[in-house]
Amino acid sequence: MRRPPANPDADPLALDDETVERLLTGELSPAQAPPGYAEVAALLAATAAPPTPDELAGQAAALAELRAATRPRRAAGFRRGARPPRRRRVALLAAALVGALAMSGVAAAATGHVPAPLRDAARSIMATVDGAEPAPPAPPGSRTSPGPTPASADQAPGSTGPGSTAAAGSGPGSATAGTAAGLDNQGLCKAYLAGQGGGRGSKLDATAFQRLAELAGGRDKITSYCEQLVSGRAEPKEDGKAKEQAPPSNPDQGQGQGGPPVSTGAGGQGQSAPGATQPGR
Amino acid sequence: MIGPEFEDVLRAAAGGDEEAFGKLWRDLQPRLLRYFRVVSPAVAEDLASETWLGVFRGIARFSGSEPAFRAWVFTIARHELLDWRRRAARRGIEDLPATGLVEQAAPDDPATSALEHLSTRAALAEVATLPPDQAEAVVLRVVAGLGVDRVATIMDKRPGTVRVLTHRGLRRLAERLGSDQIRGVV
Repeated sequence: MRRPPANPDADPLALDDETVERLLTGELSPAQAPPGYAEVAALLAATAAPPTPDELAGQAAALAELRAATRPRRAAGFRRGARPPRRRRVALLAAALVGALAMSGVAAAATGHVPAPLRDAARSIMATVDGAEPAPPAPPGSRTSPGPTPASADQAPGSTGPGSTAAAGSGPGSATAGTAAGLDNQGLCKAYLAGQGGGRGSKLDATAFQRLAELAGGRDKITSYCEQLVSGRAEPKEDGKAKEQAPPSNPDQGQGQGGPPVSTGAGGQGQSAPGATQPGR
Repeated sequence: MIGPEFEDVLRAAAGGDEEAFGKLWRDLQPRLLRYFRVVSPAVAEDLASETWLGVFRGIARFSGSEPAFRAWVFTIARHELLDWRRRAARRGIEDLPATGLVEQAAPDDPATSALEHLSTRAALAEVATLPPDQAEAVVLRVVAGLGVDRVATIMDKRPGTVRVLTHRGLRRLAERLGSDQIRGVV
C-alpha cells in the first residue's frame, strides 16, 4: 500500500505510510512533523492526552451501576457485587434479622403491625423501665416455647468481623414464634447493641429498630434501654422464664465486636442470613 | 496501559475483585469516552456505560494480552455503537452534527488559541468532522492505541482499507487545520 513519494511541489501535504504510522503512534512531535502536519500532530497528541479529571469522575458511580445492573453471579460478579442491589439488601437484612431472632414479634414490628398482646407486653417493659405503673400483663398464650438455654448461649458468637451486621452476627435462632415480647425485644436489643460501633449508620433506619426507638422512648435512649433489658434488669416481672433465659450480661456487648451469643438451634430461618452478610472481607 | 501487572489485574477483575476492575476502568474509560465522543457524541456516556456492562459480563471468559483485551473492549464498544445506531435509525434519531475547530473557532477562545494547548475535547470534536469511517479509524489507532490489524478486525475491514482511511483522515485534518479560517486563530 505504500505510495511512492509524491512530488512535494505538486502536493505539499503528501504523506508516506511510514509518516502516517509515526503520526498515529505519537512518535512525531509537532516540531518533527512534516510540513503542514504540525497542527495535526498537536491535535492527535491532544486526543491521546492523559485522562482528565472529569473523564475519571464517574468511577464510583459506574462501578456501583455495574454492581446493581448485574445479577449476583459467583463467576462474573464483583465480590462486593455478589451483594444484591441495595433495596433487596435492606429486605434481606430485615429478613435475616427476623430469621435470626426468629420471633414473631419482631416480624410484626418490622412490618409495622404489632399484635395487641405484644404491644401490651412491650408497654409493661416500658413501665418497668420507667418505674411507672405496670401495664396489663401479656396474655399467657403469647409464650409457648422455651428460648435458648444459658448453656447454648456459651457457644461461639455469631461473628467476629467488624463488618458484620447485626443480622449477620445473630445467626440462626432456636426460639420459635410466640415467645414473649420481652424476649423479642431482648433479641432485638442484642442485635442493636451488637451492631453498635460497627459503623452501621443505617441501623436505625431499619423498621424493627425504629420500633425499638419507639419502645425506648427515643433513639438516644435505645442503648440504655437495651442494656437494661439485656442485663435482665428490665425484664417484665411476670416474665420470670424470659429472665432466666437471658444470657449472662456481657461487658463486651455494645462494643460492636460481634454478634450476641446465640443458641445453636439450626433454625431454617437462619438460611437467609448469609445472603445479607458480606463474605470474604 | 496497565503494563506488566495486567495479567494479574485481569485475573483478579475476572474473579470479582472490584479494585482490579476499577484499574481496568480507569485505564479504558477515558479512551472509550473519547472514542464515543468522536463516533457518537450525543450518547457517548451512555454507550460507554453499556460497553462496561458487556465487559463486566464477559470478562470471566476473556483471556489474552493487554492489547488483545483492549481490542476486545473496543469490539464491544463498536457493537454498542452499531446497536445504538440501529435503534436510533428506527426511531428517526440523528446524532449531533460534528462541529470541529473551524466551526467553533472564535478569536478569543482560549481552547483554540494555540494548538499546543488544544483541549482533548476540542481535538476530538475536530476529528469528528472527518467522514465517519476515517474518524473511527483514526480514533481507534490514536486513542485506543490499537494496531492496524486490530482496528481492521474491529471495523470489519481489511488492514489496507484501514491504512487508506487513516491516511486520508490525517491529510484531511491537515487541510482543515491549515486552512486560512483556522490559521487566523492559531
